[in-house]
Amino acid sequence: MIKFIPFVWRNLMRNPLRSMLTGGAIMLALAMVCVLRTAPEGFDRFLDNLAKNSRISIHNTAGIVYGMPYAYLARIKAVPGVVGAVSWSWFGGAVDRDKGVTFPNFAVDADAIGVVFEDLGIEPAAIEHFRSHRDGALVGRMTMQRQGWKPGDEITLVGMVYPVDLSFRISGEIPAEQDPRFWFHRTYLEEALRAQGIPSDQVGMIWARIDQAELVPGVMKQIDDMFRNSEAETESETEKSFFQNFFSLLQGFIVVFLIVSWLVAGCIVFIAANTASMAVRERMRELAVLKAIGFRWRLLFTTLLGEAALLATVAGALGALLSLALTRALATQAAMTPTMGPLAGFVVTNWMLVEALFLAFFIGILSGVVPSFGGARRSVATTLREVF
Amino acid sequence: MALPLGYPLRNLVHRRLRTGLTVAVIALVVIATTLFLGLVSSMRRTLATTGSPDNLIVLRKGSDNDGSSAVPLEAHQALRFFDGVGKSAAGEPLASPELVVQPFFKTEAGGRENVLVRGVEPIALAVHEEVRIAEGRMFEPAQGEAVVGRGVASRYRGAQLGRDLRFGRRSWKIVGVLDSDGSSFESEVWVDVRDLAADAKRTIPYSGLRLKLAPGADRDALIRRIEADSRWTLGAKPETEYYAKQAESANVFYVLVVGLAVLAGFGAAFGATNTMYSAVQARIAEIGTLRALGFSRGSVMQAFLIESIGLAALGLVVGVAIAVPLAVAVSQALGGIAFGLSTFSTSVITLRVSPFDIAIAAFLALAVGVGGGLAPAWRAANLRPVEALRKG
Repeated sequence: MIKFIPFVWRNLMRNPLRSMLTGGAIMLALAMVCVLRTAPEGFDRFLDNLAKNSRISIHNTAGIVYGMPYAYLARIKAVPGVVGAVSWSWFGGAVDRDKGVTFPNFAVDADAIGVVFEDLGIEPAAIEHFRSHRDGALVGRMTMQRQGWKPGDEITLVGMVYPVDLSFRISGEIPAEQDPRFWFHRTYLEEALRAQGIPSDQVGMIWARIDQAELVPGVMKQIDDMFRNSEAETESETEKSFFQNFFSLLQGFIVVFLIVSWLVAGCIVFIAANTASMAVRERMRELAVLKAIGFRWRLLFTTLLGEAALLATVAGALGALLSLALTRALATQAAMTPTMGPLAGFVVTNWMLVEALFLAFFIGILSGVVPSFGGARRSVATTLREVF
Repeated sequence: MALPLGYPLRNLVHRRLRTGLTVAVIALVVIATTLFLGLVSSMRRTLATTGSPDNLIVLRKGSDNDGSSAVPLEAHQALRFFDGVGKSAAGEPLASPELVVQPFFKTEAGGRENVLVRGVEPIALAVHEEVRIAEGRMFEPAQGEAVVGRGVASRYRGAQLGRDLRFGRRSWKIVGVLDSDGSSFESEVWVDVRDLAADAKRTIPYSGLRLKLAPGADRDALIRRIEADSRWTLGAKPETEYYAKQAESANVFYVLVVGLAVLAGFGAAFGATNTMYSAVQARIAEIGTLRALGFSRGSVMQAFLIESIGLAALGLVVGVAIAVPLAVAVSQALGGIAFGLSTFSTSVITLRVSPFDIAIAAFLALAVGVGGGLAPAWRAANLRPVEALRKG
């Protein structure tokens, strides 16, 4: 079979213009499929990553904005299986009042942050600095880079919701590429609010880490049962489930993305089938001669099919590379203009490239089957009678 | 002399399989493009039609959404009597204090979404002129009653007129349905502002104010006066500007969609070129004959171009005929397409392909037809009659 590849390639090059046009069309379409699939795939990857930890979110059943008493934290910490818990309240601070809130900032409990978010790989020195400085802050890498901050910098966040401005000294970085979060001490915010006469005994959410994954469902049930019929009933869920719900709004978009990418994949089939049928039709006479001198139809069928598959695969490989270049370009563009931010999330993985190659090969076979079969099985006598 | 129009068009019918496949490719590209454009334009339409240029939104200075803002009671008391604020027929200032909270709602599909619940006073309907009670009636204050937007009624469990809907810490009776010509108010629930503040335990009961300008009032002067008042740190801007800013999130998708449409357009053009080259190839003798009969290069070229454009036009018609109902079907299957606003709440849009989207798709199809036909038509026109006749 391998020895026929040069022969198949030579056949493709008989009409280089046509092969190039078909190849070009397949390449563009496949690049598009890859780019479109980055959105849903990236989302799944993000969720799968979260599924690895045993962290749970506890919040008011009515909604995240409803809050619950700070006293819940101590009761949750006492539940067997919970190794650590922190409260988590949205502050809504901005670096520049005119630009508004550009990254999420939360007031948290410093003492347990290293335990609950152990998996983030924050430097122990940074955590220690954060714990021991009441104006300390831990900042996600993305925000550090965007703002041009480094540990030790002194910065001020202006309150967009609460009438308080808070000054911080950055303790260290949360070392995750896409992490925008900014954490600071809850007590620091509470003092500032109390000075203004605003009571703040409510927290938005509580994150708790359970020491064994098997215990998670039981602990969640125990916590929710504990607060049933209280002033703030709670709903516990895993971190994965929390973000899945948080981003459920993207579901409609993802459906449209998937539909469009399937449509485009369908396009490739038609383009390739069209070319394959042209190639076979042109070579009717030659095929009949080859059969007349003793070549088996199976061999002819295989070479014709091979031709379609080879073209599609080569074009598919180029298309996959093109999608890689496109997403890189988008990401660079997005890094420069903040409003394009979401586009930075489109990343083509190696696995997607491999899948794209298989898809291209499969499409090549699919599109070549009918014309090749027809061409190879046609009776010699009929063909020769027609063409001579 | 030009060739009759029937010549290129009948040629399309002659090679059915080839025409069919190419039409299918163009149709798929048209469907993909219109569906995508429809999504983006539906999103923009929803936000762009929200708000009135005569309305000012007053928030804490710098806040760009009413979900993260707080305005003190005294500020409301003072601002409503500022010069330039309109008055209702009864002489009441057209100033609507509002509180925005985003509780969880359960979707029919079983999901959970943050829905924008707006606490208002009865004056709100006079300030938001485009919002009407389409069914039922407006809520009575302090009765735990609610009116829901059309989008909300169709998407969430138990959110229909006459039913009891649980959200926040209590249950609310739905007494009316809001209509606002498809704007984003239809994705909201309106309740009494004091009921809501109590339920959400808000210490500062208002997140923002909406002011309707008096006819002929100086908008900029009023904005300056509000922003210059040193008692509070407030910012004011026209409602239309506020919603336009939220629509900016759609612009990101526009860049992406247009880029992908161009990419797909090139792919389709390559396919069309292929088909047209093979059409020229198959008819070399015929072209030679036409040229020998005295038809000019121009008319041969024109005929092949028309054939190519005809191909694209067929693709366009088939594509649009499929895309429009497909958009409706997708939208219905999902109970409206929800997307997150920067306000941390859900906006429900009806996916609809607008005439403008179709116009863009038509332009793309035309470009595919012309771009795909140009090179083959050029080759056909420049065949030398003698050689063409011999080859055939």
